[in-house]
Amino acid sequence: MATETWGQLKSLEGSKLEILDAEFTREVSKIIGGQDLTACFQCAKCSGGCPVSDKVNVQVHQLMRMLLFGLEEVLKTDMVWLCTTCYQCQQRCPQGINITDIIFGLKNMAFRKGINPPGYVASRKALYDSGKLYEPTDWERDDLGLGPVPPLDVAETRKVLDKTGLMKLREGE
Amino acid sequence: MRAVAKELEVELLDFEGASCCGTVVLKSIDEPSWLALSGRNIALAEKRGHDIVTPCNGCFGSLKDTAHILNHDEAVRKTTNKTLMALGLKFTGRAKIRHFVEVLYDMRNEIKGRIVKPLTGLRIAFHPGCHLLRPSTVAGFDDPELPHKVDELLELTGARSIPWGLKLRCCGSPLLIASEAVASSVLKEKMISAREAGASCVVTNCPACHTQFDVQVLGLKDEGGQPLELPALFVTQVLGLAMGLEPDSLGLQLNRVSLDPIRDVLGI
Ligand code: SF4
Ligand code: SF4
Repeated sequence: MATETWGQLKSLEGSKLEILDAEFTREVSKIIGGQDLTACFQCAKCSGGCPVSDKVNVQVHQLMRMLLFGLEEVLKTDMVWLCTTCYQCQQRCPQGINITDIIFGLKNMAFRKGINPPGYVASRKALYDSGKLYEPTDWERDDLGLGPVPPLDVAETRKVLDKTGLMKLREGE
Repeated sequence: MRAVAKELEVELLDFEGASCCGTVVLKSIDEPSWLALSGRNIALAEKRGHDIVTPCNGCFGSLKDTAHILNHDEAVRKTTNKTLMALGLKFTGRAKIRHFVEVLYDMRNEIKGRIVKPLTGLRIAFHPGCHLLRPSTVAGFDDPELPHKVDELLELTGARSIPWGLKLRCCGSPLLIASEAVASSVLKEKMISAREAGASCVVTNCPACHTQFDVQVLGLKDEGGQPLELPALFVTQVLGLAMGLEPDSLGLQLNRVSLDPIRDVLGI
């Protein structure tokens, strides 16, 4: 099943990826968990246990090679946002590379460039506005005899998120 | 969770002032914001001298991961604490972060003595979910390849936790935000695996996973057009029933997939 659902870069075959940008590789090495990135020897064990390997156009071991080659196009692959964050690859990588954490860093980079599924923009707003991703269902709480959710002062969480600049991650925000 | 905790005389305090931990969603958008928001919750508990317990793999993974990073990376801890200073808070790493099943596992002998309604004949496909186990350097709970602790708990009830091919597989829940189609196809594979293993129900210990198995599954069909749902129970629902608690106090009336096929075994 090739995904039409996400990712502009549909295939590595036939794609001309000419820019090998060492600076990009260095940048990725600096993200949390990125320090061992260059130890990847392409065994593909990561892709072997990955729940979306057969559903993406670019698999996780290929993503890892793209990083080493400094191919910034990696941010446009479907693997970045279709990674479920299950940590199976990271758990099993024989080289001890923090693969999933690296992908989190790539998601951060992609988001700053506006390359992300639209749902994440709505989630960012919800977190900023209410300090919550999900709203409790009142009738279900009633049914279980649960009182209201303990109060949260949104001014406090906003103060934190203003400091980290959550709502100003992109150019022009 | 509350009914079982009460029965076991575990006192739970509501976490005043807590926000969402941000989960993998906020970590995906911006790690510094995630560390600060999630770190704020931990710092708040620390300030009160409390530990944190949660029945959710998402919160557990997110808070543990935050604590792990802040404990190991001095530069990141400094930055995060600078942000938290504005609220008069500071992450120190004192608070323990525990999944409720860890607490239950520590109390397994007590639970054993309280089983009054054995669930003999129930064949459970237990879904541990990802962040309870992985990465094991962060979660530190059970064997990441051959987990057995929650299975042990479930088997105290007389039920069987059966082996199944895709037990360790992700349920697809985090993908709902990026692509519902892919999230469903991941779930579909899990359901086929559970069915092939002869499971009479799926058991989860995470509300996000649970929503996959109890809500998103509705309407999913296999290649032959057969519906794929199986009764889906939360781990505390199984334990609570076997401990003789009222089904309503365990929220069984709120389960979406019909429990009819296992009503007799559950005695409800
Ligand atoms: S498992 Fe590790 S070493 Fe093997 S291909 Fe994947 S990232 Fe590279
Ligand atoms: S963490 Fe992401 S890339 Fe790694 S196995 Fe899971 S889905 Fe695949």
